[in-house]
Amino acid sequence: MTDRIVSVLRAIVFIGIGLALCGVIFEIAGYSAPLMFQSIADGAFLRSGALGHALRWGLPLFITAVGVAISFRAGYFNIGAQGQFYMGAIAAAFVAEWLNGWPAMIVIPACFVAGMTGGALWALWPGLLRLKSGADEVITTLMGNFLASLVLVYVTSGPLKDPSGSGQQASSRPLDAAYRISTSYGLSPTIVALAVLVGVLMWLLVNRTAFGVLAGLAGRNPTMVEWQGARIWRIGLASFLISGALAGLAGTIELMGPNGRLAGGFLPGHGFTAILIALVAGLSVAGTAFVALFFGGLASAALFLPVMAGLPSAAIDIINAAIALFITAKSGMIDRIVKFGRRAWTRS
Amino acid sequence: MDEIIVAILRSGTPLVYVTLAGVIAQRAGIWHLGLEGLMITGACATILGIVLTGSLALALLIAVVLCIVGSILFWFVVEKLRANQIIAGLGLTGLGLGGTSLAVQSIFGAQAAVTAPFGLPRLGPAFGAYGALSVLVLLMPVFVFAIWVLLRRTRFGLRLAASGEHPFAARGVGVNPSIMRLVALVLGGALCALAGAELAAGSLQIFAQNMTAGRGFMGFAAVIFGAGHPVGATFAAIFFAVVGAIGIRAQLVFGDRIPHDLLLGLPYIATVFGIWLSAKLRGGARAAVGFGELRDP
Repeated sequence: MTDRIVSVLRAIVFIGIGLALCGVIFEIAGYSAPLMFQSIADGAFLRSGALGHALRWGLPLFITAVGVAISFRAGYFNIGAQGQFYMGAIAAAFVAEWLNGWPAMIVIPACFVAGMTGGALWALWPGLLRLKSGADEVITTLMGNFLASLVLVYVTSGPLKDPSGSGQQASSRPLDAAYRISTSYGLSPTIVALAVLVGVLMWLLVNRTAFGVLAGLAGRNPTMVEWQGARIWRIGLASFLISGALAGLAGTIELMGPNGRLAGGFLPGHGFTAILIALVAGLSVAGTAFVALFFGGLASAALFLPVMAGLPSAAIDIINAAIALFITAKSGMIDRIVKFGRRAWTRS
Repeated sequence: MDEIIVAILRSGTPLVYVTLAGVIAQRAGIWHLGLEGLMITGACATILGIVLTGSLALALLIAVVLCIVGSILFWFVVEKLRANQIIAGLGLTGLGLGGTSLAVQSIFGAQAAVTAPFGLPRLGPAFGAYGALSVLVLLMPVFVFAIWVLLRRTRFGLRLAASGEHPFAARGVGVNPSIMRLVALVLGGALCALAGAELAAGSLQIFAQNMTAGRGFMGFAAVIFGAGHPVGATFAAIFFAVVGAIGIRAQLVFGDRIPHDLLLGLPYIATVFGIWLSAKLRGGARAAVGFGELRDP
């Protein structure tokens, strides 16, 4: 129990330090830090309907973050969630285009299968390069992100281009309303049900199956797991594929739900935020759900800031980055304080 | 032919400077994924510095100081707080990318790009077709040689390598690995500032948000591809630049037959190839466990 308290306290303390750093950066850039934090808090948590907005942004983030947590647990730094997210959305958009006119009962499931496959395939090649040749997956998945955003630009200005688009930013043809799983507001029973389903299944996978236990051990001590007779590369490949498929699923949800069309460079910070969520939650599936709500609120504030408060949305990127800078820090200080507190408490 | 070489030097020089920064960090045992963020900070500070102060020297000074401050922050988080280097590096990159767009928006409003009235000094007409290149292009081999000497032929270089490879041994002979890493990161920060200055003010005189477009990460990949050796990593960086130049050339040759967005991806594919090849040649980069954690002294 003490460990859990320490890790939660540690996250809170380091997020606090990160926010203080953000305040310094805001002041240097010429903004009033208190005003900025006030506006962000308003946009994220305090305005009316904030919970709905946080859920709209948080649920897709939760799905991607669970995938990230699964590959990190197995010891693989798959930081290509952004690319896998894009590839899922692109694959789903192609299928929706090809099957245009078919009944929604067929098109929607087909799009979901395509989106998850697209994401999984975009995680497959870095996974194979890592497991077969030892090529560092940090770099290959990062490069995959850049490549996927180029493919997205190509697709939205080429094969899937909306001919009636006004030209400002290339985007694909909007999906037929019958194929949308939510309105532009972005919250619907379908999306909530999908997120709950993913959460439950992945919680079971991580905590109640041999795969989950072995993957968690392999992340900490692959040699031991290999000696026990488990096939490391099979666990590794499965982790890559699952994390890719979940990012692709989130991409499909964003396409068929709130966005309704692809646009070059849409949701550019999704993958990075998902990585943060997984890390802040300590790679636990249940924890990810709560943390995703917090970051979902921040993501909704990124839209709120420029429109309602006249402040740049880059402020949210800075907050996310500062949290990333500090979130893996291990300071012995907090452990000592908690231990001291517990000793004092048991003595009294 | 001259055109192609100019194009390669123009895109390759910033990459070489940022790669050298990565090499120094690598020797000290740090996997530096914050290069991208430092580089864009350098680019932004140079252009904004020229616009606001009107002095190139002052602009470069601001760029170098900001990048060094960022490097010290990274050192503190990685060394003193024992954070994971990969995640902290990505965080530093995010701070650079976000901080520069915030600065541009706060000074110039919602503007996509900032143009400076002048940039780095050019080589001049005496160099013929190469006259439009900046002096940093000419200084590049000097820097590569100097860093090779520093890392491979000096006492300091040996101590740095010991701090990275075997901090315990370094400590045993009275070297403080923690301080050595700080020195390595500060040197790297200054080089990142030069890389950013060359990128933004070398031939363009413009700063645009996210203009580094992954060059910092490619520099990191060049370090791995070049086995952490200054000269090898420089050639790896130039290889990436050559592939990029081929992509630009191919656009002219093939016109619309190959979509140009996909040709822009060639350097990224070359980077993946480089990582794969070096893993094939020298074995896997690392074990899955403990990656991104500093070795304890």
